[in-house]
Amino acid sequence: MHGPEKEYLKELFEKFVGTEQADEAVEDILRGEQILRDNPAPEPGKELIDSIKSQVAWSLLRRREHIRRMRYEAVAAVAAAVILLATIWTGLFERGRGKPEEMRAQIIPVAIWESDNITVDDPHLASLTAEVEQIENELLTLQEGETSGNGERAVSELEMELAVINSDLL
Amino acid sequence: MAKGDDLARIVNGCKNGDAECFSQVVDMYASRCYGYFYRLTCNTDVSDELLSELFVKLVKKIGSYNGGSFDGWLFKIANNLFHDYLRAKQRRKKMMEVLMTRREELEEVLESKRSEGEVADRLQVKLAGLDADTRELIMLRFYSQLSLKEIAHMRSEPIGTTLSKLHRGLKRLRELIGC
Repeated sequence: MHGPEKEYLKELFEKFVGTEQADEAVEDILRGEQILRDNPAPEPGKELIDSIKSQVAWSLLRRREHIRRMRYEAVAAVAAAVILLATIWTGLFERGRGKPEEMRAQIIPVAIWESDNITVDDPHLASLTAEVEQIENELLTLQEGETSGNGERAVSELEMELAVINSDLL
Repeated sequence: MAKGDDLARIVNGCKNGDAECFSQVVDMYASRCYGYFYRLTCNTDVSDELLSELFVKLVKKIGSYNGGSFDGWLFKIANNLFHDYLRAKQRRKKMMEVLMTRREELEEVLESKRSEGEVADRLQVKLAGLDADTRELIMLRFYSQLSLKEIAHMRSEPIGTTLSKLHRGLKRLRELIGC
């Protein structure tokens, strides 16, 4: 133990005991530590030191590999996030342009939506309209027949017309 | 031994993952740490194992070293390793039994060697006469070369307690050795 350390130790002891006792205590410690110096512990073998250095080198290699893998994973995660955001952004942008309306226009021609002439646009609808009109006429005839005594015939005709319409719809 | 700037440069190299710097740290501290483990375990195989583990742990933990006493930091890891080892193997009690047995065995060997005029490690035998905590304190102080203040901090006890235990322990050791 160096001089300053001895002094420091003595000062430390003097905080708890008297000067005389502190001197004795320091002396006990110095002699005790001298015993330890006189009886050194065995040294680690050269093979052990070499083995430790190899293990350290191997650990360093694994650590570097781990750090590299973590970096790759971080880059991959960022790339995935960018792709995801880009996809969402593009989707929102396209929706803003009204793309679904264009799709509907492709299924049903714009001309039909803008036309008022049902006969030209849809023959089936025209036929149905004609038959509805015919039923209207026959209902009117039926109302009139109630007074003229020709009602039974008109009801039969109306039933026939309804049967025809029913078969058309099926 | 490297001091001050040299040690700081080497430790900095270790933090940057320089294998050569780690190798220098092994050369610098292996002897002291081995002595510490050996005096506490009284077993060369266990000391070999703990020393290897210490330096592998150093590689993993070097990033958490934020200045201050490197010796203190390293011996704190060594001390934790020693305690982990005892806990993991549940050998604390058994170890004391083994130490007692070894003490008797070693005393026999000592006697026989004395008669042959050979030098033996008397200290290891006598150390078994100290309680485990005092032995650990004495070894920590001797091999780490840390100040009492640092040791007291490491052991989470008042400096007066550390001082008193060290004094009583070394005095008792002197009595056991007989000088």
